[in-house]
Amino acid sequence: MISRKVLAWSASLLLVGLVANAGAESLDADVSPKKDLEAIQKFFTEKFPEIAWEDFANGTYALNKAWYENWLLIEEFPPYEIAIGNGEEMWNTPFANGKAYADCFGEPGVQHHYPRWDKEQGQVVTLALAINQCREAHGEEPLKYKKGPIVDILAYMAYESRGQIVNVVVPEDDPGALEAYKKGREFYFTRRGQLNFACAHCHFSMAGRTLRTEPLSPALGQATGWPVYRSKWGATGTLHRRYTGCNKQVRAKPFEAQGEEYRNLEYFHTHMSNGLPLNGPAARK
Amino acid sequence: MKPKMPVFVVLALCLGSTVALAADQAGFDKAYEAAVAAQQKAASVSGEWRDTAKMLKEAKKKAEEGDFEGAIKLAKKAEHQGHRGYEQMTSQAGKVGLDPFLQ
Repeated sequence: MISRKVLAWSASLLLVGLVANAGAESLDADVSPKKDLEAIQKFFTEKFPEIAWEDFANGTYALNKAWYENWLLIEEFPPYEIAIGNGEEMWNTPFANGKAYADCFGEPGVQHHYPRWDKEQGQVVTLALAINQCREAHGEEPLKYKKGPIVDILAYMAYESRGQIVNVVVPEDDPGALEAYKKGREFYFTRRGQLNFACAHCHFSMAGRTLRTEPLSPALGQATGWPVYRSKWGATGTLHRRYTGCNKQVRAKPFEAQGEEYRNLEYFHTHMSNGLPLNGPAARK
Repeated sequence: MKPKMPVFVVLALCLGSTVALAADQAGFDKAYEAAVAAQQKAASVSGEWRDTAKMLKEAKKKAEEGDFEGAIKLAKKAEHQGHRGYEQMTSQAGKVGLDPFLQ
């Protein structure tokens, strides 16, 4: 005879299953960037109540006093300073046709306008892509996207953009923009690679914990400080270089830097940091 | 009662796999072709794994050196990765989202 207790358990499990299933079916059906933003920022500010809002832009260094103090020592002689200097020189050197970056961007401190949805192009335009579009429009060769001169010009523009507030807009009047946001969002939450990890596994619930000796940074604030000098690289590199590394770490084949996948990812990834100050270039382990 | 199937199934599978792919050029070609098809299938849903292409390259090298046994073993590994990568992506399609990560 089936006891009441067993029946109650079965009913509970069925209910949980139905709720979970209903959730699974509707996970992507009604995506709202505004609701995402509120939910994500609420999640992290409640998870780390001791961190001041602006300090989320400092990544893992906001989580631990010793890490923070070590980082401050590194920042006394910033390892990305050479990149800023090189980038400034690039900014001030005219192209072969006599034009310069200023003819495309006006001023260097424009990072807060990127990544943005470009309705005419029908795609997400990141600052790195805009730099190469500028170069090509003026007859220059595009730069490679992970390291080298692209990092220099990005570092200078990021430095000049410091203190501006992240404000990624997903225009409601253009379904293409929402579609790109949704694709980036889907990428972020999809398990991939032999290790079967999504970006969110490390940078949402596990944020603040350590993977071997390395702390995992919260997703909130990750996109504010690029390009970054990474001690592991011994050089300053771009955000898409880091995406490549993350994908490789979970043993997935990485995507092309500045390809559609990573640009959409950057769109979603940066959007969640809306309201935080830009503080690039930065130094990270 | 103890199930009798496992011994029979295992023997059949072992026999089948050795018969299906002899350790020679023809066996390798067959294994390599299947692995590339699986790799492409995974890539078609953006689900290719990091080491698959490297495995295929190494398998080819081993075959060129005459180590067909090693080459087939690697090609089979690559094929396995291709199938798992494809399944990984298709099983998640439309089912991923923010909510589970906010718990």
